Amino acid sequence: MLQIDNINGDDVERKIKKSKHNFCINDHLDLLIEVLQRLDGRSLAAAACVCRQWCSVVRNDSLWEHLCFRHVSPPPSVGTRSVVLALGGYRRLYMVCVRPVASQLKGRRITDGGQSEVVRRVWKRHEVEMSLSLFCVEYYERLLGGGGGGGGGGGGGSGVVGGESPATSLKFLCKAVNVSI
Amino acid sequence: MASSGKGKDLHQTLPDSGGMDELLEVLGYKVRSTDMADVAQKLEQLEMVMGEDGILQLSDTVHYNPSDLSGWVQSMLSELNSNASDIVLPGESSSTTMIDFSNNKEIDGQQQQGTKLYDDDPYDLRAIAGGAIYGTTAEESPVSRNGIKRMKSGVAGSEAVVAPPESPKPVVLVDSQEAGIRLVHTLMACAEAVQQDNMKLADALVKHVGLLAASQAGAMGKVATYFAGALAQRIYKIYPQDGLETSCWEILQMHFYESCPYLKFAHFTANQAILEAFAGASRVHVVDFSLNQGMQWPALMQALALRADGPPAFRLTGIGPPQPDNTDALQQVGWKLAQLADTIGVEFEFRGFVANSLADIDAGMLDIRSSEVEVVAVNSVFELHRLLARPGAVEKVLDSINAMKPKIVTLVEQESNHNGAVFLDRFNEALHYYSTMFDSLESSALSQPISQDLVMSEVYLGRQICNVVACEGTDRVERHETLSQWRTRMNSAGFDPVHLGSNAFKQASMLLALFAGGDGYRVEENDGCLMLGWHTRPLIATSAWKPMET
Repeated sequence: MLQIDNINGDDVERKIKKSKHNFCINDHLDLLIEVLQRLDGRSLAAAACVCRQWCSVVRNDSLWEHLCFRHVSPPPSVGTRSVVLALGGYRRLYMVCVRPVASQLKGRRITDGGQSEVVRRVWKRHEVEMSLSLFCVEYYERLLGGGGGGGGGGGGGSGVVGGESPATSLKFLCKAVNVSI
Repeated sequence: MASSGKGKDLHQTLPDSGGMDELLEVLGYKVRSTDMADVAQKLEQLEMVMGEDGILQLSDTVHYNPSDLSGWVQSMLSELNSNASDIVLPGESSSTTMIDFSNNKEIDGQQQQGTKLYDDDPYDLRAIAGGAIYGTTAEESPVSRNGIKRMKSGVAGSEAVVAPPESPKPVVLVDSQEAGIRLVHTLMACAEAVQQDNMKLADALVKHVGLLAASQAGAMGKVATYFAGALAQRIYKIYPQDGLETSCWEILQMHFYESCPYLKFAHFTANQAILEAFAGASRVHVVDFSLNQGMQWPALMQALALRADGPPAFRLTGIGPPQPDNTDALQQVGWKLAQLADTIGVEFEFRGFVANSLADIDAGMLDIRSSEVEVVAVNSVFELHRLLARPGAVEKVLDSINAMKPKIVTLVEQESNHNGAVFLDRFNEALHYYSTMFDSLESSALSQPISQDLVMSEVYLGRQICNVVACEGTDRVERHETLSQWRTRMNSAGFDPVHLGSNAFKQASMLLALFAGGDGYRVEENDGCLMLGWHTRPLIATSAWKPMET
């Protein structure tokens, strides 16, 4: 709300003082990315709905790469990035494979009493490896079905259009929705 | 009931009913008014017998006077009474007998009064040698025998319908639990009849199975339907045509791939063994005995692409059957795989071989390069058993594999003996195996909506059932054998086993954990081989081999 005052020296000073205390995250995208890197997938998706600027930041594939491999130790090999990007990008990898795999396994995790941090990380690595394999199979199925390379996003590109149905071989990852309630 | 005044107005144009009910008369049925209650009761009984889908499979009832409603309802009921075996008189509790499979006998635990024994009637199910269905005498008072448990009615799951107490007529009950047991026994009895070449009895039994199977919901009913169909083909000597089989087969197998984990398990475990064998190699060559759609190879190529020391040059030789429309399906699959390889940065070469039988191919045709240059892996998923249809074929192929000097041979086969010399043994083995398979499909159906995949998978398995049961000689290609049988064969052909490591086991376990509703699947390690089963029954086995050191 602008107060239309007589523009005099006092007001200008007040405005400058105000702007020193006003902090807008949108002016500091590196900070924004730092914060977003610590979020989980669901929150990231919610963040993409905030405004157009945030949406384009969140669509940055490296954020999703961080999300996919955050807990994996040792970190995946150097060639992984080019392969994943060629097959559709990290955001797609997360949506189509990593998230369903992780959530399916969470319900069935073989609990060895108190799982140590190391054990959890190793398990995550197997999960990620499985996700990568399934991701590749899914890409191949799209090749078989649609003909011509589908969705090979460039580095950090916007990836695939939302609303694409998952490939048939990954149907088993989806939990059935009970619509009878 | 309309008053006589109204009735007269309504039926003024009709001739005198002569005591017949007027309303039914309008519909064309002649039923005495005095018989109305009786006919209503009979119709009710008939409806109970018809089952859920209302299909009554009485092929032999001839109706002469359709307007005589009472008459033909009665004749249908009495035909059913002579077909079916349990006749429970009102006022008595029906009991269900549990069958111990190892005994293979069922004692009919109900009081039988007035049971008719026809000497030459093909419908007399008692006249089966071996007592497959009935014990020695049916008139014995029900005494429990060794190994047979009996339960009173009122058991959960039993849907016994008790007749109204006033009815003087015998009533046919359809108890779903007992129907299931009788279904299995009728199937086995039919197979036994076929074994003994008693086609008349087998024919009657097959029809009976159809009736029972229709009333049985779920996996058991479906399996029984397929087996009954296959038996019927064997009895009537209508053998399934070949030809259109091939392309349908590949499509069906794709659906089977989608809907259940068996093929995925096969691919992942075989790939893990191949990946480990390829460690350190810079040029690799995989010979795939049944390329199909090439679904196994993307995952392997991706794993090779992400290898720590970079991907090797990957060469794939795919073998497949000729297509009915002469299209080069192999080349198309090769092309798609090449696109994938290009995307992920793996040097790729493909060659396709069309062959009617693996025995037509020998090592020389495949351009095997020296082992210093190239490491070779041979992969066979559900393919080698087909060679057992021709004598000498499997030995020839195993020799050619040896000539290829592979570093590893991966073999995935069904874990069951469907290749016994005696038809009845094969039948029983197959019945148990495919019942378990259908059970596992059914449970995954519960957690996902019924999809086309599931239905097509059942058709896929149904084709196999048909081949095992109805075909003979070189047509019978589904000659599955157990892991121990394959072990013997591989050993005598000059191969040593290679143990599948714990990585393969972990991958397999994880894969199964991903299947919603997959709580029943079990991965088992069996002396270095991995078996995937449903509950306690192993269904497929992956093993790896290498040529013996000379």
